[in-house]
Amino acid sequence: MLMMKRRQGEAILIGDDIEIHLAHIGRTRVKIGIKAPRHLAVVAREVHLVRNENRAAAEWAAPPDLSSLAERVRSSGAQESASRSDEKFES
Amino acid sequence: MPQCTTKYFKEIEYQPQAVVEFQEGLFGFEQERQFLLIERQDLKPLVFLQSLATPGLCFLTLPIRVISPDYQLEMTAEDRDRLALKKKPEIGRDVACLAIVNLRESGTVVNLLAPLVIDLATQQAIQAIVSGQGYSHEHPFYAETPVAAGT
Repeated sequence: MLMMKRRQGEAILIGDDIEIHLAHIGRTRVKIGIKAPRHLAVVAREVHLVRNENRAAAEWAAPPDLSSLAERVRSSGAQESASRSDEKFES
Repeated sequence: MPQCTTKYFKEIEYQPQAVVEFQEGLFGFEQERQFLLIERQDLKPLVFLQSLATPGLCFLTLPIRVISPDYQLEMTAEDRDRLALKKKPEIGRDVACLAIVNLRESGTVVNLLAPLVIDLATQQAIQAIVSGQGYSHEHPFYAETPVAAGT
């Protein structure tokens, strides 16, 4: 990965039409301005990962064997905390 | 009682208070706002998050403390404000916290990076992202995935 040192107020160019501005540098966070062509999606990396993971989780390749999965979770010794944290859902 | 067509349990009746509302949907499913939390005695501790609008959409989840008993829910101020939560919401008391389970061919993974946080007082929910604490969106849970066609 290319590493660059930049100060607040400075900018980076990627190719001819992507600009990244370091608008503000705080103690633990930086504020970044991004100028890019409209067809390029700009999104935080975590959001992209989570979106893909959600989509994958919504579609199984084969029907899951839920009974054996539940059985394995129960037998892994997690049962106590399970009944404590999910009791609010009982209808 | 209202009825719902589900992905795994055919037609079921439900209590309106078992519905949780994601005002902004889930990532990748921004239009899906209302979900039914389903627990089956024989499938505990699994919790099913069934879309009310889309019968074929049902997430398999686990209470996060089942996977990680010492899980620290450090929400961003923005996420807390979306639910009007206090600074340190307590799992089990203020909020329920579920992790989405993904059964991949290579193994079962759970998403600890983006837990579903349900305000127990209002039934309002969000999918939070708790970055910066090292939690993974693909935390390994089991090495294999139990798959059985025809169940």
